[in-house]
Amino acid sequence: MTETDINLILGLREQSPKAQQMALERYGNDVFAQVARMLPAVEDAEEVYQDVFIKVFRNINQYDEEKSSIKTWIMRIAYNEAVTWLRHKRPTMLYFEDREGQSDELSDQVVEETLGRPNSEMVQLIRAAMKHLPPDERAIITMFYYEEMSLKEIAYVTESIPTTVASKLSRTRKKLCRIIKMLQS
Amino acid sequence: MKEEQLNKLREQDQNLRDAIRLDEVELPQMPVDLNARLMQRVTQEKPHKARTRIIWPWIAAACVAAVIAVFLTPPKEVTGEIAQMQEPTVEPVGTVIAKQEPKKVEPEQLQMAEAKPIRKAPVKLKEQACEQTVEEKPLLAQETAPVEEMVTEQPTVTLSEHDVPITRPENLKYTPEEMALMKKQANEAYLKWVELELEIAKYHLEQTAQNDK
Repeated sequence: MTETDINLILGLREQSPKAQQMALERYGNDVFAQVARMLPAVEDAEEVYQDVFIKVFRNINQYDEEKSSIKTWIMRIAYNEAVTWLRHKRPTMLYFEDREGQSDELSDQVVEETLGRPNSEMVQLIRAAMKHLPPDERAIITMFYYEEMSLKEIAYVTESIPTTVASKLSRTRKKLCRIIKMLQS
Repeated sequence: MKEEQLNKLREQDQNLRDAIRLDEVELPQMPVDLNARLMQRVTQEKPHKARTRIIWPWIAAACVAAVIAVFLTPPKEVTGEIAQMQEPTVEPVGTVIAKQEPKKVEPEQLQMAEAKPIRKAPVKLKEQACEQTVEEKPLLAQETAPVEEMVTEQPTVTLSEHDVPITRPENLKYTPEEMALMKKQANEAYLKWVELELEIAKYHLEQTAQNDK
């Protein structure tokens, strides 16, 4: 933990407006992106974003430096707030649910070729397929591939354990391939 | 799947990483004034929080004071009960005294009753009328009863000094209705005693008249 992080946490604990402003500048974009990719509309993301930072400012004394970084802690609050919002509001969103377990029938080689071999057409297909994933799976795969968070960090954010996150990531990869196959057919 | 394998796959899945990166770029941008609005909301909520912090100890203190007041102040019913509880403890003393006295005075009273039956009743009547109390009632009632064999006619309740409300300061706690009732009962008992005394006197007169004959 850097000195600026320590000063920021101390400032937040003293409810200093300067520290709060600094926290918004440092982590605001990440939080907004996390929330916006899980929620259907920008207005909803704005509402949840505000709730997240209000919660951060109020509960800063509950933050434990030994468990995670301040950023991971804030991202955890953002994830939970978004999930809570979805649970309460129940917006109409369509997801692909692999109830018959057809994704598991795909071989590792097919999955690796689909997701790995550089192909601009395939990138567009993956983007289209990602829109059919549930918000929590989309959030996990983004945290892993885009923000390059470790399994432990993702597990902390999603209040899970690393092995569960690993199996979820593996399943989501196969699910994406399954959706792509469906889109292609 | 282990983390090392997943990290390896993360590097391999070029298409997936590109797709996510493009998606993130196309995500809606955060409004510029969002942080300003948030800070405004934070500052608006702060005074409200401080206000509640100031008010709640006073509310709590008032509640505690009210509870203490309720527990420390005895209700009226309790004081009445206390007075009633005290009476039975006092009454036996009175009755004991009343029962003991006749034993001592009994022979004399018997002689007096035999020797001067006519004078006895008027004198006592005068005394009782002046005092306006029922002080000697139980004594006389018990004295005369064995002699005259009229126990059945005597009042079952023996009144003593302690039953007179005026003589006891603690009885000032009685309500006016209770006081009036007690006075009424005392007067009724006194009248009954007078009637009894008259009957006794009449009986003695008859006895002496028969003896003279």
